[in-house]
Amino acid sequence: MMELDRVSVAFGEALALREASLRIEAGARLGIVGESGCGKSMLGLCLMGMVPDAAVVSGAIRLNGRDLAGASEAVWRRHRARDVAMIFQEPMAALNPLSRIGDTVMEPLLVHEGLSRAEARDRAIALFEEVGIPEPAARLRQYPHEISGGQRQRVLIALALTCNPGLLVADEPTTALDANVALRIIELLVRLSETRNMALVFISHDLAAVARATQTIAVMYGGDVVERGPTAQVLSAPRHPYTIGLLGARPGLGDRGRGADGRRRRLVTIPGNVPPLFDLPAGCRFSGRCSQEIAQCAGTRPVAHVLDGGQEASCHLLAPAAPGRAGAVT
Amino acid sequence: MSAPLLEVRGVTRRYRMPREALLRSPPVLTAVNDVSFVLERGQTLGVVGESGSGKSTLARMIMAFEAPDEGAVLFEGQDINRLGAAALRQARQRFQMVFQDPFGSLDPRRTVAWSIAEPLRVMRAEGIDRRIAEALDQVGLRARDGEKYPHEFSGGQRQRIAIARAIVTRPALLVADEAVSALDVSVQAQILNLLMDLQEDLGLAMVFISHDLAVVACICDQMLVMRHGDCVEFGDTAGIVARPRHDYTRSLLVASGI
Repeated sequence: MMELDRVSVAFGEALALREASLRIEAGARLGIVGESGCGKSMLGLCLMGMVPDAAVVSGAIRLNGRDLAGASEAVWRRHRARDVAMIFQEPMAALNPLSRIGDTVMEPLLVHEGLSRAEARDRAIALFEEVGIPEPAARLRQYPHEISGGQRQRVLIALALTCNPGLLVADEPTTALDANVALRIIELLVRLSETRNMALVFISHDLAAVARATQTIAVMYGGDVVERGPTAQVLSAPRHPYTIGLLGARPGLGDRGRGADGRRRRLVTIPGNVPPLFDLPAGCRFSGRCSQEIAQCAGTRPVAHVLDGGQEASCHLLAPAAPGRAGAVT
Repeated sequence: MSAPLLEVRGVTRRYRMPREALLRSPPVLTAVNDVSFVLERGQTLGVVGESGSGKSTLARMIMAFEAPDEGAVLFEGQDINRLGAAALRQARQRFQMVFQDPFGSLDPRRTVAWSIAEPLRVMRAEGIDRRIAEALDQVGLRARDGEKYPHEFSGGQRQRIAIARAIVTRPALLVADEAVSALDVSVQAQILNLLMDLQEDLGLAMVFISHDLAVVACICDQMLVMRHGDCVEFGDTAGIVARPRHDYTRSLLVASGI
């Protein structure tokens, strides 16, 4: 349905995305994970045609086969909401605090769909019911500050659904929410994707959330997609040293307790910090922090190696002739 | 027998909310409702709960930033809310706090060393330079990092600086309120490991507050689960994770698992 074909986003010398490729099938749910500054939000903005003006975009962004990479704002505006819609981390910031929730949700129905006020109101109520907002008619008259964060995120989801998009891009939709509320929002997004045959791109730093929400996953680091594949497979058997490190660094409930020496078990860490975009190594972006680094890592960009079961990882250690193949890395 | 390091005895804290109607009395929110626990030296207690569960209010009462309406906080046997200003200042050397956002607690116009030395100046301590260098070393920074300014550091390093400032007074108790929540996963693991090192090497006791049950489970001996101001479950971390007794704890466990 939508495809990124070697898309790069450059801010001067710095690359926020480096030849990133992705395919999003109709109705499929794809997760994008990585730490801050890895390019995952930029990737989401590419799908919406909302890359900042200061950036230079190259590569192809195909929507139903049509390349929109260089398309004007006017062209993108015809596709937004109808073909691709987006929700963000902070629902309060996305809602006009001075407008009643109903007016906000009805606006695209009046403007894009050309409905009458009564029709738009009925549609808004139906959408609120679909996203699980109790007493939808009463909710329409309220202001954003009068409802909880979880309900606000549901309003945003309803708003994104107004024009029946084929793809919903959700950028950290659960990060600002409490764990239980987040879980319910994830369940809602999965259900909507299934009932509407709507593709979902779920962007998050939270591996547990992505594991629940998606079928396939792309792991990003320093503007590169470093690993991808079926979500369960990548998270249970990661092959890229960054994915392995990221999973090890996450405190799982199994890490609790103490070792034989009576000291508490330490977490696996990735040394150093995520470097700023203008300071990334030219080859593998992860070189310098990688514990498995070999000679060519810093200077040569690794290609994606196709592994079993549709998994792919871009790491020199996975090349057939590489010394100490990364399969042994755990 | 000596008193435990920290005893929180039935603390309750209520806030008056804005008046809803002119003639009605304003509603009262009970942020923390009758919470009790004992923390021994060198032990870690995790406080878990969603936003609004009262965990930060509890932290503020432990730090004597605010007084409980009922109950008492006893630090080394002393009721900290009955101490005079000077005595409280002295006692504060022994319990320090780390917040979620180190940028908000470090003065951007001052060097890191100046910020770290702040509690020492309040105490009129001696050998300040040596103690700054020692604290920086303990959190994995170099002595010359002290000459830099907060903006020159990454988020994880800034949290190290905030921890250095908290341990420079050689406290017996560290209260960490969402201290790793704003950090990326790989950096969060570094800071959690650092806190475990400090706890074990310095014999520091810790009250570790987080909305993330997995983080609490990996660092704490005991756990207190809060909801709407109430303590709904308290006990050994391993026991609670294996056999949660309250539905709410169970739902938090489900939500945090991968």
